[in-house]
Amino acid sequence: MMLPVDLLVMSCHNLLLHKVRSLLTSLGVIFGVGSVIAMLAVSEGAKRSALAKIEAMGTDKIIIYSHRPPPEGKSEGSENASIVEQYGLTERNREHIIKMDNVKHVTSLFDVRKKVLRGITRTDLKLIGCDYGFLEDTAAKVERGRWFSPADFENKVSVCVIGKNVKPKLFELGRTDIVGSQIRIEDAAYTIIGVIDNEYATKFQEVGGQNDMILIPMPTARARYQDYTYSFEGRNRNILRIEYDVFIVRVGEVGYIDHTSKRISAYLQKTHGTLCDWGMVVPLELLKQMEDTQNIFTIVMGSIAGISLVVGGIGIMNIMLANVYERRKEIGTRRALGAQKSDILLQFLIETVFLTTSGGIAGIAVGVGIGRLITRYSGMPTVYSLWSIALSLVISCLVGVIFGTYPAYKAAQQNPITVLRAE
Amino acid sequence: MAPVVNIVELRGICKTYISGDLQVPVLKGIDAKVGAGEFVGFIGTSGSGKSTLLNILGMLDVPTGGSYLLEGVDVSCLSDSEQATIRNRKIGFIFQSFNLFPHLSVEQNIAVPMLYARVPGRVRRARSLELAKRVGLGHRLGHRPTQLSGGECQRVAIARALSNQPAFILADEPTGNLDENTSNEIMALFHELNNNGVTIVMVTHNPALAPHYDKIIRLRDGRIDDRPFEWEGGKK
Repeated sequence: MMLPVDLLVMSCHNLLLHKVRSLLTSLGVIFGVGSVIAMLAVSEGAKRSALAKIEAMGTDKIIIYSHRPPPEGKSEGSENASIVEQYGLTERNREHIIKMDNVKHVTSLFDVRKKVLRGITRTDLKLIGCDYGFLEDTAAKVERGRWFSPADFENKVSVCVIGKNVKPKLFELGRTDIVGSQIRIEDAAYTIIGVIDNEYATKFQEVGGQNDMILIPMPTARARYQDYTYSFEGRNRNILRIEYDVFIVRVGEVGYIDHTSKRISAYLQKTHGTLCDWGMVVPLELLKQMEDTQNIFTIVMGSIAGISLVVGGIGIMNIMLANVYERRKEIGTRRALGAQKSDILLQFLIETVFLTTSGGIAGIAVGVGIGRLITRYSGMPTVYSLWSIALSLVISCLVGVIFGTYPAYKAAQQNPITVLRAE
Repeated sequence: MAPVVNIVELRGICKTYISGDLQVPVLKGIDAKVGAGEFVGFIGTSGSGKSTLLNILGMLDVPTGGSYLLEGVDVSCLSDSEQATIRNRKIGFIFQSFNLFPHLSVEQNIAVPMLYARVPGRVRRARSLELAKRVGLGHRLGHRPTQLSGGECQRVAIARALSNQPAFILADEPTGNLDENTSNEIMALFHELNNNGVTIVMVTHNPALAPHYDKIIRLRDGRIDDRPFEWEGGKK
């Protein structure tokens, strides 16, 4: 047996003799590994951003929201009909839920459904009454100014905290004195005391994203608007009566969140009957579903990449077999000079493994490049984890071992006599 | 027991190839001895069993009968791995078409058998240089075989054969691919090595080389031909 160092040097030397052939041979592995890396990067990136969004909602939360039930039996023809339409979550629901086991806290939102105008243009901003705990229960941060104080709630002060998207939608560019200025909404004026930013732009169903909200203390909202809002649909004027739009329920024990959410929905089903005027989202469940679909995605993509690696490996085996035939004289001479079968076997095996591993390294570069291109042109986030790179190296090395063993075995089995006699 | 052991001793070597039901005897009992420091020529026409004997002498093949003693040790039934080790340490191969590695330099070519003997790199380089000088190629260490003439290539092969200080050198038609002048130079080099104590076994079909040998063993139809040599050619 040769010294390991000599064996390595010799094998590498042989490959460098045929640079173009070595490159072409390892193309299969290069693209195979490249696709593995790119696939894992895209999948990991998608997973992380989705997870971050879901996690921003909070895995210990159950979000219950009101939604307008589908119209039933209302004739569209009855013009100028004024109907009081009542639906959604009520104060009684809130009081009941808050007393349930494992429920620690309920934060509520109430959309007062007023048109927020900029000049005479209607914006998609919403004026929302919220509880004090709303900031803490969402992953939002105070960007400027401050959050409400308990006194603001107690005294029903006319102040508001705005989401960061509100600023460009209501004010001219470059205004810096937002905090302290006033917003007029219909006949009321609110002094802005702070700007908040929710990095993941968490959305609360029909109420919309947190960054698009103009928040006022719930007592202020109740004092000023009660729970009646008007809406105009075509020529119909409807009066809506909605007490709450969103409950954010925080549970004490995350392990029992499943149970708690079932109890809440059982309760709501009982009280609301057949009226489909509420919905529920459990971020933790979303998270689990998300992980499941992501895993399936990864498996499917992984198999495709795996197939390309197998194809690449077969290509390498093919060329190595031709290589063995072409180098019969070299093998015979080496054997005559005293090379063991194992020396020949290892020489060819190392050549193949070296070929696939360097193909793997090049493939990692290709994969990172593909990932970068994807990020640049489609905006999908890509994440290169260390384990995906390590995995690719191990796989490319394994491809070499798996597809190199047979050619190397063939090389070692060459009979030196026939080779030397062939001259 | 005599203190001097024969380097090679063949006792009734037989080799029969079996193809299907047919048995083809190629060697039919060869007895031969090569003493230390001898220059022995095995001469035979094609079909005389010369190549088969060469393979057996070179440990590339095993005889079906008889025994082969190498430095007094019976090596006729060894495993493939043991054969390789003996080829590496005890036998210096020289081929008709040199069989150099075209992508290796002269120095690296000379060092190949030492690679398989696990000789460390530093020692290999020193010894390659010494051997290259010995065959008159000290100035060509970095050259590739393609940059050398046929005679120079065979010199490299001779240096390579000597690299593990083998018991004997086994040369297969070493001058077969060379012109007459170069041939003579190479034969002169063999004589020089032989004078310095290297045992050489040469296998050839060429009777013209006969005067170079200390001892001539002629093969004919798988047996040793005992008739006097002059009978066959007698040109020189």
